[in-house]
Amino acid sequence: MARNFDDNTDRNDDPEDSGQRMDFKFGGAQRQRRRRRTRRTVPDYIDWKDVDFLRQFVPERGKIMPRRISGVTANAQRRIARAIKRARNMALLPFTTD
Amino acid sequence: MANLRTYEVMFIINPDTSNEDVERIVGSLRDITTSLGGSIVKEDLMGRRQLAYPIEKKREGIYVLFEIDGSGKEIAELERRMRVTEEVMRYISVRVDEDRKAAEKISKNRERKSSRRGFNAKAQDESVGQDV
Repeated sequence: MARNFDDNTDRNDDPEDSGQRMDFKFGGAQRQRRRRRTRRTVPDYIDWKDVDFLRQFVPERGKIMPRRISGVTANAQRRIARAIKRARNMALLPFTTD
Repeated sequence: MANLRTYEVMFIINPDTSNEDVERIVGSLRDITTSLGGSIVKEDLMGRRQLAYPIEKKREGIYVLFEIDGSGKEIAELERRMRVTEEVMRYISVRVDEDRKAAEKISKNRERKSSRRGFNAKAQDESVGQDV
């Protein structure tokens, strides 16, 4: 599969395939966009009551994990963030811990 | 009913409340819902649970979850009642039918896509080559 790796403008319509690629703007001639880590799959319905699932996205400090680390799609990240905020309101998850 | 909506209503009751009072509160909220035309699909007394942070100086609370089908009127009244009921420390009501429907659609789309991918894999590879 021949691909021009420097072409930032190519649109990919597959929602599963968006993001998680790194552009290496430095270094040698042969650069590749590379995923830092594998995309994480997320259930289609994110339940705000599912504390065990949401905890994966809330590290020690209680903050919501940013997308560059969580490795989920933008859409999934938004839904997760909303669920976490609901859970926080009901004291299922902490706002902060220190 | 033309537009039936599904809601999840969760509330936390003060842990110092006696069992009878918990029953009474839950019962009255249930009655409000049904008297305004809502139907309770699921009622889950989740019981005592540690709070992630103290609320009203309490470290735990009694969690109750309702799942309600209705028009939305009963939710408004439920919220009003929970607000004035002192034993209810926190409540939340979330409309879930739309998000569930969206999730269903995603699942269905994924299924369709994966079956198509198997069949047309070769054709897609060629089209990818062309955008270089």
